[in-house]
Amino acid sequence: MNQDLRRRARIRSLLALGVSATLALTATACGDSGTEAGSEGDGKGKIVFWDNNGGVRTDVWKKIIAEFEKENPDIDVEYVGIPIADVQSKYDTAIQGGGDSLPDVGMVGTAYLANMVAQGALEPVTDRIEDSSLKGKLVKGMVDSVEAAGGQDGELFTVPTSANQGVLWYRTDLFDKAGLEPPTTWENFYKAAEELTDKKNNRFGFTIRGGAGSIAQALEMMYAQSGIDSFWDGDKTTVNAPENVKALEKYAALYNKVTPKADLNNDFTKMVATFTGGEVGMLQHNLGSYTDHVKAFGEEKIDGLPMPPSEDGGPRTMVSNPVDGLGLFKAGKNKAAAWKFIEFAASAEMNSLWNESAGAIPAHTDAADDEWIGKAKPTKTAMESLDDPDTRIVQLPYYLPDWNSISKADTEPNFQKLLLGQMTAKEFADDLAKRLDAAQAEWKEQMG
Amino acid sequence: MTAALAEKGAHVPAPADGETPPPVEGRTRRRRPADQPPRWQIFLPLGLYLLFTLIPFYWMLLFALRPAGSTSLVPWPVTFEHFEKVWNERSFGTYFLNSTYVGIASMVMTTVVALAGGYALARFRFRLKNAFMLALLCSQFIPGALMLVPLFETFRNLQLINSVWSVIIAETVFQLPLSMILISGFIKNVPESLEEAAWVDGCSRIRAFLAIVLPMLRPGLIAVGSFAFVHSWNHFLFALMFLSSQDKQTIPVGLNTLIGADSVDLGALAAGGVVAAVPVVIIFAFIQKWLITGFSAGAVKG
Repeated sequence: MNQDLRRRARIRSLLALGVSATLALTATACGDSGTEAGSEGDGKGKIVFWDNNGGVRTDVWKKIIAEFEKENPDIDVEYVGIPIADVQSKYDTAIQGGGDSLPDVGMVGTAYLANMVAQGALEPVTDRIEDSSLKGKLVKGMVDSVEAAGGQDGELFTVPTSANQGVLWYRTDLFDKAGLEPPTTWENFYKAAEELTDKKNNRFGFTIRGGAGSIAQALEMMYAQSGIDSFWDGDKTTVNAPENVKALEKYAALYNKVTPKADLNNDFTKMVATFTGGEVGMLQHNLGSYTDHVKAFGEEKIDGLPMPPSEDGGPRTMVSNPVDGLGLFKAGKNKAAAWKFIEFAASAEMNSLWNESAGAIPAHTDAADDEWIGKAKPTKTAMESLDDPDTRIVQLPYYLPDWNSISKADTEPNFQKLLLGQMTAKEFADDLAKRLDAAQAEWKEQMG
Repeated sequence: MTAALAEKGAHVPAPADGETPPPVEGRTRRRRPADQPPRWQIFLPLGLYLLFTLIPFYWMLLFALRPAGSTSLVPWPVTFEHFEKVWNERSFGTYFLNSTYVGIASMVMTTVVALAGGYALARFRFRLKNAFMLALLCSQFIPGALMLVPLFETFRNLQLINSVWSVIIAETVFQLPLSMILISGFIKNVPESLEEAAWVDGCSRIRAFLAIVLPMLRPGLIAVGSFAFVHSWNHFLFALMFLSSQDKQTIPVGLNTLIGADSVDLGALAAGGVVAAVPVVIIFAFIQKWLITGFSAGAVKG
């Protein structure tokens, strides 16, 4: 009896195993059959669009999509908003998971563009731009940035839509009250930072970014003060050049002298909250936080200036900020419709609408003179400084596949050590330079 | 009270029938035993700890209830604009329903499977049982992120990408080891002789389990179920990676979309945080008694 029961149990187990395996194989077969990944399609049907700044930009994208669907009733766009902090992981997981879960169109920033190009996820769009209404209508600086970030000469992997720029935000009311000049020079900046600080009353001249994202901002401050206009000198980075080290020393010395002590862990959220929530005179961030400042203080109490020139009256030196763009995915099943959407979203009218909502610099040249730009003073000033032929742009090496890990996980803890005085500016810069030089050499080797 | 004092050695005259006992040497308050620290030494650190724990919650409520741009330290005038925004404009109503669905389904699946597995661990002897227990424990050291790509491929093959079932299954699988270990501890607390008595009375093993053991597992089931629910409710990674459609997303993903690349709406973020925290707080308020009993009972039995 017992033996009989055991035999039956064994048979049941084997049957269950067999059924499971069959189901799994059937499901696998279903998943792989019938897809038309990579096809041009007939320019109709459904396309999926991933927004890399979901939530914050949802409303404006829904407007653009509604306009597009009105003009193209045969195309249905599904909007998917991805949180910005995790967009790279989401793209990477979908790529590693076979690629057929990727969207048809996605917003892609230059900070992680090289990584996606290296994995073969994106289709080049250079020829499509040439054959479209976008030909000759995209800001050259942004096109150059996208080309450099993609890491393949002469090839664009996204259609640039907007750029950001580092801004020194300052409270005009606090400056007026203290009788201070706006931070148009470095001397004015450091003087105001000291004079606006009154630690006993919890007032500070500046708030520094000591946590996530600290490196890009530190580089911006270093190059703007040193005036060094190239990230590379041959195969070696200029990050640890003596002028940059000196600038970094001055910048890091601000911590806990004219900034709150809690700034050590500031990511941009906390830094902006510190600025908007307290009596802090200045903040270095990009154009993107303009709406937060206006919401907190009103337009009359806040102003933004580009980084001051290294010498009074001299040219400005600015580091390249990530450029956002629309990418066409190789695995897309309906590329013709997807490209129609990209062309529409990057058109002057839609590009202007998007950038007005984001407070960023439009990529379409015809959007540059739109009315809203005249009203958004910091955006206008930023555009003027970018258009200034004397302005020098230091292109950060976004094309390095290791750029994100070097400038974040590898180096951010060192920056905190620097702020705490546990590391010197030279030690910090030398360590960063060593990592960058190695990554550059590796990249060059891979590219042949 | 007299009995307590008598136990401690104080001299208390016995009251006559119908008489009120006289106050003890003019004092009505119970003396603090000599081996116990003064009350302030207990309550002051606890109070400070409570303050330390509650301040972030207060901060969240403050940002959620005060108007945008206000720097007031009290939420006055009160506004519900942020709640309206997240619930209606940011689709938190949909996220809330999705999270509830995922949480309840994961809770039910985890509890049912953990019951069966835990029973086997508690009552049966089989080869490599200890090794299996060790493997269950070791599986807790594997972070979900490490399994992301294999899980993604598996769900893609099963055509479950962008289906809430991918999240439910992944959550259930990741919570099962700990839940099984806990449940087996609770079942070991129930004397086997009770089941045997039921068998003698003609019950099958399943009937005896359902009629005798299961009712005695209530604290354990509540502990494991609530733990599974809260874990699924708060978990972000699987929902972000396996779901794409906006109408299938859960609250943790929704919360993250409130933090933009360069700007953040702190009022909306705080309101979203309140929406996410309230169900968990309510659940814990109702079940904390069983939860603590359950966890301590499950923990002491190996």
